[in-house]
Amino acid sequence: MTRTRPPFLDGLAASLPIVMGYFPIAFSFGVAATQAGFTGLEAFALSLIIYAGASQFLALALLSSGAPVLVAAFTLIAMNLRHVLYGPALMREAGEGATRRHAWAWAWGLTDEVFGQALGALARGQRFSEPYMFGLGLGAYASWVSGTVVGAYAGGGALEGWPAVNAGLGFMLPALFLALLLSILNRRQLPVIVVAGSVTVVATLAISATSGILLGMLAGAVAGVLRK
Amino acid sequence: MSWDLLTVALMAGAANWAFRALPILARMERVAASGWLGRFLASTGPAAIGTLFVAAILPSLVPDLARLLPVIVGTLAVLAVWFTRKSVVLATLAGALAHGATTWTLG
Repeated sequence: MTRTRPPFLDGLAASLPIVMGYFPIAFSFGVAATQAGFTGLEAFALSLIIYAGASQFLALALLSSGAPVLVAAFTLIAMNLRHVLYGPALMREAGEGATRRHAWAWAWGLTDEVFGQALGALARGQRFSEPYMFGLGLGAYASWVSGTVVGAYAGGGALEGWPAVNAGLGFMLPALFLALLLSILNRRQLPVIVVAGSVTVVATLAISATSGILLGMLAGAVAGVLRK
Repeated sequence: MSWDLLTVALMAGAANWAFRALPILARMERVAASGWLGRFLASTGPAAIGTLFVAAILPSLVPDLARLLPVIVGTLAVLAVWFTRKSVVLATLAGALAHGATTWTLG
């Protein structure tokens, strides 16, 4: 593929759709954090250090409900176990000669959306490049952290006069998960997703939302092991 | 800043870095994907995303049309944009816009 600009800038440009998607979600995280009683600095720290959307929202629920530190930490860790698969899948597509000297740094930005975007670029014939991964990851990370800060300092009060905007931001996360679900949906994964979803509903109603998430993920993964 | 929050964030953040970087540095793609562990790992992603979607939408499913209708319209918008544009970001934004617009219309 002929390049007209440095790969880093290519990656930064490719991150723009993710930036557009991340900023409002991070904004709503910042608002949710301050509404749950956390300071702007704490919301900023959660986004800077954890950098994983769904588990950050769960962190708010766990920490504000007084869950023990280890229980909260391991719940969040379990939620992001799926990320283990992203690196190997990406490098398999990148090919044998792909360099990974700086993977210890750029892999930090390998979120669901960054992984999807990078994999899509390789599928379209683009050559793997670490500077491209830095650009792609940095754009998304900066958007996530800055969106959180703006949301935290604007606060819940900023949206009180705008219930429709508040409602739309509140639906951003279910919409994102539905879109991600559609992007990975195929006949082979359907039983895994059906089992995971069903167990989540039952366990949430019978025990709690946190148990529903953990048991749903485990049941789906076990269904995948038992699948012929 | 709360020490509990910082501890949880550092533990979860360190694990996130390990999950994202170590499999690349360890060249895990060379490990055969067969066996029960391979199938378990391969199913973890779809199971997690399916679970997170259900967990996120479940609190909205209440017998109140004013709250349920925006969810239905938002969900349909995500489906419509996904099947026409195949873009996660556009589908997400369309869903949120449709949800907000329906809420605004219902007053």
